[in-house]
Amino acid sequence: MLTYLTKSIVGAVVVLLVMSFIVFGLQSIIPADPARAIAGPNAPPETVEAMREQLGLDDPAVVQYGRFLLRLAHADLGTSVRTRQPVSDDIQQFLPATLELGLASIALGVALAGVMAALQFLIPGSAGIRLAMVGVGSTPIFLSALLLSYFFWFQLDWLPGAGRLTYRDFAGPTGLNVIDGILVGRPEVSVDALLHMILPALALAQPIGVAVGRSLNGALHDVMSQAYVRTARGKGLSETKVLLRHGLRNAATAPLSMLGLQVRLLFGNLLVVERVFGWPGLGLYTVQAFASADLPAVLGVAIVFGILYILVNTLIEIGQSMADPRINL
Amino acid sequence: MVKLSHRTSEPVTESVLSVKDLSVILSREGRPSRVLDGISFDMFPGEIIALVGESGSGKTSIGLTLQGLLPHEYLPQIAGSIRLAGIELVGAGRRTWQSARRHLVRAISQDPMGALNPTMTIRRQMRESNGRSEGSIEDWLSRTGLPDPDRIADALPHRLSGGQRQRVLIALAMMARPKLLIADEPTTALDVTMQAQILDLLRVLARDQQTAILFVTHDLTVAASLADRILVLYAGRIVEMGRMQDVARNAAHPYSAGLLAARFDLDSDRRRPLPTLPSEHTPSIRVENACAYATRCPIAQPDCTAIRPPLEPASVHGGAVACLHHEQTPFLSAQRADAKPWPAQAIQETAALRLSNVGKTYPTGARSFWGRRQPQPILRSINLSIKLGECVALVGESGAGKSTLLRIAAGLVVPESGTVTRFDKLPPQVVFQDPVASLTPWLTIGEQIGERLRAVSPDSDYGRRRVGEAIKLVGLDPVLMDALPAEMSVGQCQRAVLARAVIVPPRLLLCDEPISAMDVSLAATTLNLLSDLRRRLDMAMLFVTHDLAAARIIADRIAVLKDGELVEIADPDAIIAAPQSAYTRSLIAAMPSLQAGGGR
Ligand SMILES: Nc1ncnc2c1ncn2[C@@H]1O[C@H](COP(=O)(O)OP(=O)(O)O)[C@@H](O)[C@H]1O
Ligand code: SF4
Ligand SMILES: [Mg+2]
Repeated sequence: MLTYLTKSIVGAVVVLLVMSFIVFGLQSIIPADPARAIAGPNAPPETVEAMREQLGLDDPAVVQYGRFLLRLAHADLGTSVRTRQPVSDDIQQFLPATLELGLASIALGVALAGVMAALQFLIPGSAGIRLAMVGVGSTPIFLSALLLSYFFWFQLDWLPGAGRLTYRDFAGPTGLNVIDGILVGRPEVSVDALLHMILPALALAQPIGVAVGRSLNGALHDVMSQAYVRTARGKGLSETKVLLRHGLRNAATAPLSMLGLQVRLLFGNLLVVERVFGWPGLGLYTVQAFASADLPAVLGVAIVFGILYILVNTLIEIGQSMADPRINL
Repeated sequence: MVKLSHRTSEPVTESVLSVKDLSVILSREGRPSRVLDGISFDMFPGEIIALVGESGSGKTSIGLTLQGLLPHEYLPQIAGSIRLAGIELVGAGRRTWQSARRHLVRAISQDPMGALNPTMTIRRQMRESNGRSEGSIEDWLSRTGLPDPDRIADALPHRLSGGQRQRVLIALAMMARPKLLIADEPTTALDVTMQAQILDLLRVLARDQQTAILFVTHDLTVAASLADRILVLYAGRIVEMGRMQDVARNAAHPYSAGLLAARFDLDSDRRRPLPTLPSEHTPSIRVENACAYATRCPIAQPDCTAIRPPLEPASVHGGAVACLHHEQTPFLSAQRADAKPWPAQAIQETAALRLSNVGKTYPTGARSFWGRRQPQPILRSINLSIKLGECVALVGESGAGKSTLLRIAAGLVVPESGTVTRFDKLPPQVVFQDPVASLTPWLTIGEQIGERLRAVSPDSDYGRRRVGEAIKLVGLDPVLMDALPAEMSVGQCQRAVLARAVIVPPRLLLCDEPISAMDVSLAATTLNLLSDLRRRLDMAMLFVTHDLAAARIIADRIAVLKDGELVEIADPDAIIAAPQSAYTRSLIAAMPSLQAGGGR
């Protein structure tokens, strides 16, 4: 376990170095001139020149890269061209909203996967469920997000479809509104936050649920015809015990891998869904940064997502080794 | 149903299991087929009954039916009666079945590797099983002869060997103190030495716990070394039943007699072809009102296909037999004895294969920090040469390195040290254990055999004639030239594989456990075919097996491999009469024999 953690930290550092290199490379390839961008379009050439000097843009590339790394190590991701604030401050402001939505989507997705696998398992060979899953699974996320928002918010007005919260000025200690509402003793805030989360989380959970559910169902199907399941039935265990003790755990590895993959795709989907539902998180921030060619902001978010991805992967691998003790971390 | 006089010397005991007129229909892809047909028998406490028949005869299906574990996707329809400890199970509800499985009937199966949950410790799997057991988990483990039960209880299954897992499964079953234990070929996957120990263990358990054991096997010798009574199953019907010794001595049904004659052991005559059962099972005949064995039976009469022979008292022993003409059976063996001896085989001094100082390691040890594995030696300085025209059998337990050695001889694996010299320039032909898996499913048999005729199109007249000759050489029906592997039996597939190997006769044929998954009669047929082919085509042969009896029958010399080293190599009868190594001695001692009690 210790070697595994060491290995994954070493791995994380390597990945971050590679990413920083790519980010740095992009900065120097893209024709945008940061000095001009900061000084403003109407600044006289001398000001821009002074800015270049100040930013060290005339130094050799190696020196610039070293400086860049040093700044990264201090969590300094540069200044956003659009908001004129340090990118790290922006990220601190928008990350909680995205974390909250992302975690809710993963939880909902896993629950959906469980329900789907259970349905398919209980009603084997049901063409209806299979068809529904193919239909749901093949709807692109921008469409399902739009459909959800159109019907349940715009047409029926059952659920809120824009923003995170009705209470404009609420700000809690963690930034995760559902938890903060409970922490500060305002349960109505938590409920309101949950209601706001339903539609975007559903849109994001749908591909997770379908993919993980299918993988779980396939794995369960294989496992339940294994000889050791017959041994378990031969002990006179009830079918539920056989499924829970002998089936699920042995079937866990593949759906967990699939979950890891889906979480990576989730980062991309967040951009679309946060845009559609006006969710004030990192996704929306990134979309806006794209629109105004705000390179430092885009790259800062990329690094944050990179770290999150490594974290998720590590968690998934730990989960797999817990399900299957033969996997020695 | 015939009442059998059971153990007249003992006080009459109540039967634990009473099966009456049991029939099972399973449906595959919507097509129903009768898998068991009118099965009736009783079992008494502590009794061991051998259930014998070739593969596909329905042995496993009986076991699963008695446990209520026939796969429900096959829509099992069960008729008749199963009374276990007085409880009727046919038509019983889920709860009744669950409680029967918990307390009354347990099973151990053919595949100890797959029968334990890989992610659960032995202890937890055993705790689930306890039933009405007194005594700790460690007690039960050590009762099955497992050393160090504490360590084993806390281990995961993949840390244990096949023999250890089978013992764990036996402990798992026996700690529930079941009335009935179903053992479905529990030793097929194990080495002879391990097999002998497991059989001993079952014998002791039946005696001490008064558990009735239904021992499923296709091997009559194993059955004879263990069982009190025998049921012979053919195409889902009981064709003969009686005391084990009676049937072994005087089989009343032509099928049982054939099975007995096809059995070979360390005393069989190796100078002539082994006796075999006539042809193979043809599953597609209509047998509702006929004897199912009629297509193969050497003494069949016209009436055999007009009525279904009832199970009636046998004239030669105190049991029962389902054959209209069973008084003719004793004359069968007389007809068989006069097979012509094999012609002498010319063995030249030149080597067809020479291995000098061959060594090989595989990385299987613990992983280092960088994920690399430690190399483990598999073969250590092997020196072996096979002369042109000679057959050498390589014997050893699983994991000894037999297959690795064969692959090195074939040039499929490169050794780390030493040299391999072959007489032939062509790559040698290899015959593997599973004939069905070694054929391509979507090519016809003719196409696959013809593939090896490099420059000749298999569709040309000449090509088809060569393929036809090869097919005839291995005794395959020429109409099968255009058949796909799925349409053929295992035996036919094995013949096709051999035809493919010998259409361009190699100087050296390599066989990797070609008979170990076969029932006795098919194994004998295959051994005869190989003996015939190598003489006719003047091939040298390396025959890898864990069966000493088969090795003795086919080979000119036997080489014994133990832990990657050749411990002895000599003439078969010399090795068996005077084994030099302790390992060979234990192999011979573990061979079951038809005389009850097992061992020699
Ligand atoms: N699901 C099924 N549907 C139809 N026939 C089956 C099915 N499973 C097995 N059988 C047939 O039942 C017969 C008995 O099989 P089995 O009990 O496995 O025999 P054994 O254990 O003696 O080899 C065989 O002819 C086999 O092909
Ligand atoms: S009934 Fe006829 S066909 Fe069947 S075994 Fe007896 S003699 Fe042979
Ligand atoms: Mg079987």
